[in-house]
Amino acid sequence: MTPRKNLGIVLAAAIAALVPAWATAQQEIKVGGIFDLTGVTSDVGKPFAQGVQDAVAWVNENGGINGKKINLIGADYAYKIDQARALYKKFVNDDKVVMIQGWGTGDTEALKDFVGQDRIPYFSASFSAPLTDPSKFPYNFFVAPTYSDQLRSWLDWVKQDYAKAGGKGKPKVAFMFGDNAYGKSPLAAGRKYAAEIGIDVVDEAVLPPNFQDATSQLLTMKQKGVEYAYINVTTTGVSLVLRDAKKLGMNVKFGSNPYGFSEALVAVAGPLAEGVTGVMPHVPYGTPVPGMKNVVAMHDKLRAGDKGDAMYVRGFTYVMVWSEALKRADKAGQLNGPGVKAATETMADFSTGGLSQSVTYTPTDHRPTMTTSIYQVQGGKLVKIGDFIMPRTPEWLGL
Amino acid sequence: MEFFLQLVLNGIVVGSIYSLVGLGFVVIYKSTSVLNFAQGEFMVLGAYVCLSLTVQYQIPFFWAFLMTLVFSAVLGLVTERLILRPMIGEPVISLIMVTLGLSSLLKAIVQAIWGTELRPFPNIFPADPVNIGPLPVSQGYLYSLVSVAILLVIFTLFFKYTRAGVAMRATAFSQQVSLSMGISVQRIFALAWSIAAVVSAIGGVLLAGVRGGLDGAMAFFGLKVIPVVILGGLDSIAGAILGGPIMGILENLAGGYLDPLVGGGAKEVAPFVILVLILTIKPYGLFGKIKIERV
Amino acid sequence: MRCGDFRESYAEDMALFDSALPRVLLAGLLALLLALPQFATTYWLDVMNRIFIAIIAAAGLNVVTGYTGLISLGTAAFLAVGGFATAALAGKAGLPFVVVIPLSGLVTAAVGLVFGLPSLRLKGLYLAVATLAAHYIVEFTASHWESVTGGVNGISIPPARFAGLELKDDRGIYYLILPVMVGLLFFTKNLFRTKVGKAFVAIRDQDISAEVMGVDVFRYKLLAFAVSSFLIGVAGSLLAYQARIISPENFPITLAIDYLGMVIIGGLGSILGSIFGAIFITLLPETLRLATDAMGNYWPGLMVIVAPIKAGVFGLVVILFLIFEPDGMAARWNHVKAYWKLYPFSY
Repeated sequence: MTPRKNLGIVLAAAIAALVPAWATAQQEIKVGGIFDLTGVTSDVGKPFAQGVQDAVAWVNENGGINGKKINLIGADYAYKIDQARALYKKFVNDDKVVMIQGWGTGDTEALKDFVGQDRIPYFSASFSAPLTDPSKFPYNFFVAPTYSDQLRSWLDWVKQDYAKAGGKGKPKVAFMFGDNAYGKSPLAAGRKYAAEIGIDVVDEAVLPPNFQDATSQLLTMKQKGVEYAYINVTTTGVSLVLRDAKKLGMNVKFGSNPYGFSEALVAVAGPLAEGVTGVMPHVPYGTPVPGMKNVVAMHDKLRAGDKGDAMYVRGFTYVMVWSEALKRADKAGQLNGPGVKAATETMADFSTGGLSQSVTYTPTDHRPTMTTSIYQVQGGKLVKIGDFIMPRTPEWLGL
Repeated sequence: MEFFLQLVLNGIVVGSIYSLVGLGFVVIYKSTSVLNFAQGEFMVLGAYVCLSLTVQYQIPFFWAFLMTLVFSAVLGLVTERLILRPMIGEPVISLIMVTLGLSSLLKAIVQAIWGTELRPFPNIFPADPVNIGPLPVSQGYLYSLVSVAILLVIFTLFFKYTRAGVAMRATAFSQQVSLSMGISVQRIFALAWSIAAVVSAIGGVLLAGVRGGLDGAMAFFGLKVIPVVILGGLDSIAGAILGGPIMGILENLAGGYLDPLVGGGAKEVAPFVILVLILTIKPYGLFGKIKIERV
Repeated sequence: MRCGDFRESYAEDMALFDSALPRVLLAGLLALLLALPQFATTYWLDVMNRIFIAIIAAAGLNVVTGYTGLISLGTAAFLAVGGFATAALAGKAGLPFVVVIPLSGLVTAAVGLVFGLPSLRLKGLYLAVATLAAHYIVEFTASHWESVTGGVNGISIPPARFAGLELKDDRGIYYLILPVMVGLLFFTKNLFRTKVGKAFVAIRDQDISAEVMGVDVFRYKLLAFAVSSFLIGVAGSLLAYQARIISPENFPITLAIDYLGMVIIGGLGSILGSIFGAIFITLLPETLRLATDAMGNYWPGLMVIVAPIKAGVFGLVVILFLIFEPDGMAARWNHVKAYWKLYPFSY
């Protein structure tokens, strides 16, 4: 055969080989996933990642995105910011993803300017308030009330509880937090709101990373007569604080943010967790709400033997929200970054089947919900004690 | 005044666990001149083994604890044989890097087997705190104080009066001379690493018991103990025992008095700053042996 | 490569390259590197940029630890100082990068000088822990000096800018980092031909003898810290320009340990060692990730199981390397070169 014929056959074969790949690629929607599976927040990061993965499998099994499958390209960045950046560049420039499922405050803060420039929607598991201001960060989203609104709601609960217990004057509150962006996120808002509603923030205690002993911080709090304390770390930190507080005989009522309060806290702290309140934007695993059916089904199928928890539910809920956005963008024929952003912003009162509050995004306000559910540990179980609704004021947008 | 006393007492009590882990560092350094950065992982691994034995296999705690000690001794021996034996004679900095690699490896093994979530550790101490003066103290810390005291006595006697102890000191002084005197340097190393692993395991079990929960992050404790042994002097048992409480007191006082002034974080930094100041006065630590260099 | 010694003058003896071949090969390598951005994907450009920055910082650490024998755990702290200095100078003062990069280096050199003061009294591991103290002090300052460093939230850095030229992406900044790296490597290699460099080596080998011979040990130890910190500070500055946003979380103690690993595995006391070590330690997680990604495509659930294995393999590779190549990669490279020089007469 002549060389030209050879070349022709080779080219034809190559194209033939590529067509199926091309065809499948057409049917696939690439979503990047930046997870912490082995780093400092992996105790909550891993179940979240598992929830996301399983939910993607569920969506793909149930019709996908209008028939197309989601290809979740996930990777572990172990909370190393430069790894997050490298993964981001890979996802955006080489894998050409349509959106990214991110994780914590560390990676989200490092990438927030880039996602705006590159126009890639970034769903983070960090609920930091500044991310909800589309005038600054138009491509950032998350599925929960902001850390600031959560703290404001908890402070409302404190006022309520204090009055119920017959307290006089202003309740004395302390903030305990890690010395990083995640820990400090809601504090400024908390201080302002406390002053507005008549609560005295008498102490702010720093909990160093990987701390083993919080005695000195608690002794200072005891000296100042603290009655309520909000802890802004993860479950491990909260259980250590509870242990030390019990030892010192302090009767402070502790509250925690959503990453310190879940079934895991009860499992580890046991009876020490009784009476502790916490913010839960996503319901505990197994709560009988309509959406839980699918969650439990996927969990039992793929992770039998593991105990499901609220982080898993969180991951699942996220996928429910952004897969809906992907569906809408696809229907509008705009399966790209700006298209998905616009589609997300059409979601008004979108229900997640009870797994979380229904979410609403608009082009001028990315706060998905102003309702914070507060739970309390009663008899070893997580029991909802109230929904606190913050007014959707424009002054609080981004704070 | 009571606040001050409480902080000091808490420092002594928390520092006793520093001392326990610090003992492991010192024993290895004394015999092999290696600073073992994997000590924290030894601690965590020991605690996890104890946890598995108690919770998964339902073995009564006392026997599980003894089995953990045996496991740790074997772990120390295996580590020495596989990783340190080929490195005999290499410069100290390479040895330190090897222990860093080892800590990475052990961390990954722990994560792969036991995952990253916080696991509840069985309550081995009665939950009620005991009052020492103005400060309620967890019973776990009391156990660690007592263990440290016992170990101090044991080790001082060991290094001073037993053949193995003297042989270890000789090896630390000069490997070549010890070899020429008929001391099996390899066996000494193995012994040192076993002892260090066992002591770390004790520290790990106690710490996990006090915390009530166990996860891989507890290994960072190992890094925290390094300033303690430096403060006390790398080759001094007494230094490790005393350095622990001293560091604990410094930390707690910094946390109690400086944290409110600087908005937190002083508890981490202040002990280091004070460490550097003390080192400028006593460059080999408080009780370390002063090296006389000859040219 | 010539086998045998043919030096006929002092200049020839001191030359960096002993014949034409190394110079030609080096020129070829540089040409290849200059052409790389034309055909590399953004991801790999990012990797190359990170490798070059690591090479500069590893060379800096090698100056103080490899050549002068003072173990330093302050690399992460000095990178942070360089980075935050750049954030302040480029961001707040709006200076062009030709001014910012050297200035950041000088600021870091000053800080390094201060933290080198304990070397007057401390030796060996005790000095190492004093530098560890430096790390925590810098970390504390970075988290709390909010007006300059942005505190825990971090701070953005505008793209590197000079006379109308703006380096906005990885390609642009590649052409800044590459010449800076080459220049600094030549500077450092040359440093060890001068009196200063030889004083450093003398201090490492036997500092008491050096003092006796007239080397002002304290002054040169401080100078070693200053030079090393200058290099690391420049690396930190380039890092800031490349990452465009930095926070104290970018500089944990594990970073300092990684750099120590780079110089030890690469080879202490050798510029080539810094290069090899930096490439090795930076590429190792990338290679592991490629391998696990490839596996993960076949079995999605694998990602969660495989992640800790990656970290374990890293530790294992470091250990194996040190057991089998205790003198580092540079030593092995030189052995191989020497073997080929005399081939087939290996003796």
